Formats: sequence, structure tokens, C-alpha cells
Amino acid sequence: MKRNAVVFVMLAIVIMGMLAAGSYLDRSRKHGPVKLIGDIHNVPAPDFELPSLDGRKVKLSDFRGQAVLLNFWATWCSPCKIEMPWFVELQKQYGKDGLVVLGVAMDDTESAKIAEFAHEMGVNYPVLLGSDQVSDDYGDVRSLPTTFYIDRNGTIVVKAVGLLGRQEIEEDVKKALSASYKPAKAQPSRAAAVKTTQTKEAAQ
Amino acid sequence: MKSRLFALVLTSVTGLALAQSPGDRVPSVIIAPVGNVELRAGGSANLELDFRIGADFHINSNKPKADYLIPTILKLNPAEPVTLADVKYPAGEEMSFAFSPNEKLSVYSGDFAINTVWKAPATAPPGTYPVKGELRFQACDRSACYPPRSIPVQFQVTVVKK
Repeated sequence: MKRNAVVFVMLAIVIMGMLAAGSYLDRSRKHGPVKLIGDIHNVPAPDFELPSLDGRKVKLSDFRGQAVLLNFWATWCSPCKIEMPWFVELQKQYGKDGLVVLGVAMDDTESAKIAEFAHEMGVNYPVLLGSDQVSDDYGDVRSLPTTFYIDRNGTIVVKAVGLLGRQEIEEDVKKALSASYKPAKAQPSRAAAVKTTQTKEAAQ
Repeated sequence: MKSRLFALVLTSVTGLALAQSPGDRVPSVIIAPVGNVELRAGGSANLELDFRIGADFHINSNKPKADYLIPTILKLNPAEPVTLADVKYPAGEEMSFAFSPNEKLSVYSGDFAINTVWKAPATAPPGTYPVKGELRFQACDRSACYPPRSIPVQFQVTVVKK
């Protein structure tokens, strides 16, 4: 009986390990090295091109030289709704310093409804229509809101999951704005940077 | 004793393997096993479907307080000639959360039950009829929300003679 139990436990461990490894390898094969996995800090933000609500194609790399607050949200997400007026204020306050707020709507609904919602919320920054691909590229964004603070060189300096306070968001904006633009310098090594854990999780 | 120890070890190992950071959690809603539903031809029968929401999560009720929120909806498709006559959702619990202390949301948390009423015509041949469907919901925790999901709901209705 004891031997059977030990064998069963070992078998369970092996199966779970294989499942985890399989999932990781499958994702790596599908998306290559641009996909962010695990905790994210000081890694280059994956570039994307997404349609905006006003019909433009917007690329993240269009904003190189500016700090970007990249906010994943959805109309059905109540905590996201709390943050939006703060982002509006921050865009007004720090826009002159080089801050660009970009909203990425993860709704599975028509863009007119998203536009109506954004209008009601008084959003003054571009809202892009998200996709599974961009979610995947940013480490499989499942929880909303999730916000990436990207500095002027296109490096993610903070990833914030869940609703944070207004003051904390402003601190993160300042972090993103603090780096000077260095177009000629190489980006930090992603492999080295991934080891550092700076991902924030809102208190659960 | 040995079997208890074994169960404890296995549970711990599974828990560790499935442990995820808060942002990576997936909200769970499960349905309790549905017993045999017996329905007399020409009559009706009530069936309560019991659901359990994972700890720390809540889902919108069937009548959330704002248009932008996604309601919990049970969709069931019985095989003919069985019909679903009525679905009664429980009232949501009015709760406010740290992310919006001044706003009350209508939500389900913990355990909740949806009552259904089934009918079969007098001409229904005795037999077993499958019912397939899903519960669609959108969950949040105290600081984040998760995309809408569906879980399958399946059981059988047995029609017997009048």
C-alpha cells in the first residue's frame, strides 16, 4: 500500500511537470522570443500594430522617445472604470513631459460600443482594439486592468496587475518618464532582465 | 491513516502545481452533480442546479446594475419533446468593493442555485432525454476582472408514463 502511494505521488509529479513543460514549449514555438513570459521588468516592450477606434493603425514603436502607459482594459471591467479618469488626468498633467496613454480594449464586442463607453468616460487618449496576439505577446493578459509602464526607450519598467491607487499609478508614470531617450544605445538583455522580479500585484 | 496521508500529500502536490500568482488566477465556477430528473408525460418537474464560485471571486448576477456588465446566463437545450418552461435566477447580493466603494454591484459569490422547470407533453414517449447547455459568467476578485467564460451543463431528463 505504502509503495503504491509513493509510486502514485511520483507519477502525479511527473505528469504535472510534463504538462507544465509542454505548455511552455508550445507557447514558445508559437510566438518565438518576443513573447513575454513570467515576471516582467526592464525588458523591451513587444511592438504591435493595432487599429484605433478612429480607424488608424497604431504601432507602439511610433511612440519611441515618449513614455507610454499601456493599459489593457474592457468595458465589463469595473476596476478598469475607476482608473480611466485618473489616466485622463495624468495624460493632461504629464503629456507635455512626454507621456502617452494608450488604452487597449480587450472586449469581444463591436467597436461602436467601446467608443460609446470611452466617450462616456471622457477618455482623451487613443483607445486601440486589442487582440489575442497582443495579449499573448504581453505574457497572456488575463486579469484586467493590467498596465505596462514603458519608458522612452521602449523598455517596460513596471507591470501592474489589478487596480492600484491613483498615487501609485502616478509614481509609476514618473518612473517611465525618468529615463532619458537613448536611441543609439542597445536595449538591456531580456534574458538577464527576466530574472529580476518587479511585477506588482494588487493586494488581493 | 496511510490513505489519509496519501491524500494529504497528493492534495499538497496538486495545490503547489496549480498555485499561481493573483494576476494569473483563473476564476472557477463548478456545478454540483445533477441527480436523475424524472418527469411525468403531461406534467412538469422542478430542478435546482447548484453552483459554487471559487473563493475570493464573485460573478455578476443575472441582473447586474449596469448595462456594461455581463450578466450570468444559463442556456439549456433539451432534446425534444422535453421543454424548459422556466428559469428562475436568485436575486444578486448587493455588494460594494474596494475598487468602487460608492457603487453597489449585484453579484453572486460562494454557492448559488438556479431553479428550472421542465415539461413534457402528454404524448411524450417514455425514455431518457439529454439536456445540454452552459452557464456563462464573468468573474472578478477584489481588484481585477477576468474575461467571460462558460462552463458546460449537462444532465438527463427521464420521461415516464402518466
